[in-house]
Amino acid sequence: MTTLTKPEPLKDKPLSGAVLEVDNLDVQFPTEDGLVRAVRGVSYTLRAGEVLGIVGESGSGKSVTSLAIMGLLPNSARVTGSVKFRGRELLGLGDKDFSKIRGKGIAMIFQDPMTSLDPVYKVGYQIAETVRQHDKNVSKKGALSRAADLLELVGIPNAKDRVTSYPHEFSGGMRQRVVIAIAMANQPDVIIADEPTTALDVTVQAQILEVLGTAMEETGAATVLITHDLGVVAGVADRMLVMYAGRVVESGPVDGVYYTPRMPYTLGLLGSLPRLDETEKTKLTPIKGSPPSMVNPPPGCPFGPRCPLHIAECDEAEPPLTEVEGGHWAACIRNEKLEGHTEAAEFFDADATDLTAPVLADALPGSDAGTVTTSEDRK
Amino acid sequence: MTATEDRLAKEPVTGEPILTVKDLTKYFPIKGGGLFRRTIGQVKAVDGVSLELYPGEILGLVGESGCGKSTTGRAIMHLQPASSGSVVFQGKELTGLSRGQMRPLRRDIQIVFQDPYASLNPRLPVYDIVAEPLIIHKLAKGEELRTRVRALLELVGLNPEHANRFPNEFSGGQRQRIGIARALALEPKVLVLDEPVSALDVSIQAGVINLLEDLRDRLNLSYLFIAHDLSVVRHISDRIAVMYLGWIIEIATTDDLFNKPSHPYTQALLSAIPIPDPRRERARKRILLTGDVPSPANPPSGCRFRTRCQKFANELSESQQAKCVDEIPLLEDRGTGHPAACHYAEAIKVL
Repeated sequence: MTTLTKPEPLKDKPLSGAVLEVDNLDVQFPTEDGLVRAVRGVSYTLRAGEVLGIVGESGSGKSVTSLAIMGLLPNSARVTGSVKFRGRELLGLGDKDFSKIRGKGIAMIFQDPMTSLDPVYKVGYQIAETVRQHDKNVSKKGALSRAADLLELVGIPNAKDRVTSYPHEFSGGMRQRVVIAIAMANQPDVIIADEPTTALDVTVQAQILEVLGTAMEETGAATVLITHDLGVVAGVADRMLVMYAGRVVESGPVDGVYYTPRMPYTLGLLGSLPRLDETEKTKLTPIKGSPPSMVNPPPGCPFGPRCPLHIAECDEAEPPLTEVEGGHWAACIRNEKLEGHTEAAEFFDADATDLTAPVLADALPGSDAGTVTTSEDRK
Repeated sequence: MTATEDRLAKEPVTGEPILTVKDLTKYFPIKGGGLFRRTIGQVKAVDGVSLELYPGEILGLVGESGCGKSTTGRAIMHLQPASSGSVVFQGKELTGLSRGQMRPLRRDIQIVFQDPYASLNPRLPVYDIVAEPLIIHKLAKGEELRTRVRALLELVGLNPEHANRFPNEFSGGQRQRIGIARALALEPKVLVLDEPVSALDVSIQAGVINLLEDLRDRLNLSYLFIAHDLSVVRHISDRIAVMYLGWIIEIATTDDLFNKPSHPYTQALLSAIPIPDPRRERARKRILLTGDVPSPANPPSGCRFRTRCQKFANELSESQQAKCVDEIPLLEDRGTGHPAACHYAEAIKVL
């Protein structure tokens, strides 16, 4: 196997400490219904060499956050706040300057390997293009042989011959390997992997996570792993963020968040997961209702309408993210109620499906306090 | 109470199976590009599947994409007629029946589809969606129809007052409940559930799983639960059949399958699924398979799994390998307590 030599770090780059600092990031999309507040005040710091997991359900803003960091959102999106890469502000950077950072400083791996490769170019060319984009001194031939090395590194058999293949000649798992090879090509300092295994079968997912591990080792890059799968984060990440309704509602070391969650949403999420290793058959505890609309969210905790610990005070103001113990933060004013409780069943009702009480109907858009537009308004 | 005791106490799997599938195959033709579009090959999506479903039982059918699990469900339902084999439902042979002959039988065997966004007609209010099967089968009309639809919506945990709304006003989990209400309208005995929760977020998915469990207990239904997520299948099923490339390669009670997985593919599958428990997850050793699933148009000879099999590659001698290449392993018990389609089946502990 070929090892890639890491290029000399630039003098002004601190090699320890924060590589990526996101501060109070806000993303809004104007739509016909009003302003959609997809991301609201997300802040996090990614330290060199660490793996940060971001979990959340669909629509929680986890992907939009990353697209905002990479400057890949459409022009209509309104992005405010600050994203600093090695101390340099990225928001407001022109496309030309940003192109120097994308791929070289921060690389991204997208969810769907079927669409993130260009179908009309050979994979070798696509990798070589990335290499030459950031280092014009590399010859075309040199870049192609580098491409072959990278393909070998990500575990593609007969890498030398496969450089001349087109993406359609690869299976989904193989394509995702190519995407990872492209992400590794320029030894980035940060890799953002947005649901890298969601489109893949579990046996292939295991292979890709292994390759991702290789990529992190080879490049030494700090990684942001975005997923909805709490199992994937558990094994790979050092720290994690839980997102809900565009906000970070809990963050901390992986063990702390899994074993002693302090935000009811996290606890509910863990309780609603069927476990592969369950030995006793226990009822799952679903979270009633559904996430709030992101158009004109009401004041107060966005999880309030679904929360078993909800009290009137929760609706007054959105709870700030506060430190509950060393490095572990939770956005819940009643988080101390969860201290020492690890069973979701203690708070959540397994009978949220109680057939005599159709609670889920309350989660209809418009029929709960969490949304402003009602179906009557829309008619 | 342990899972085993719980399951044994609840459903004694005895008596006559309600649904018997024998040597079911479903081949799709591959057409050539010429003028006559002759058939130049066949995709063997389902290639000899046999299984039995007992009254009150939940049988999980799992496998990765392309293994033929959904096609099996559809072939059983006669939505895509089987190429060969037999499906016997309550003593009646279903294969070869015409649409008209099949219709009365559909009262007893219904299906819930994967995608709740695609399986409900967006232009019909929920009331009409749930009432339609009752009208088609002429089971109720007028006030009785209204009462029954209300009762069905309540049964699946929806507010009957929302019956006049259209599907787009409901969330994914609620739509799936509408699909379940529609399937239950005719009081079927068997439900084929084709990935009923995989399009839903986990917090919503749990509610639908609980609902399905409740309904089974209350109405004494039998489910063929088709899914790719083994965690969900473990939670809900009494027995599990694992499919690979058109074959069932292992079938066992849930506890047996998880405690004594005997086929190398089942073992790899179990070891590949992440567990939401950081300490356990970091300590786990994974069995990594190489490569991808071969094309079902041209499956490997002998054992179909041998091209990716960790046992074939690492443990077997050349003469042993020859058997995998030449001989199709039958689905039978080789001393591990349940049938597995591997010449060298051996129970190991993976979890």
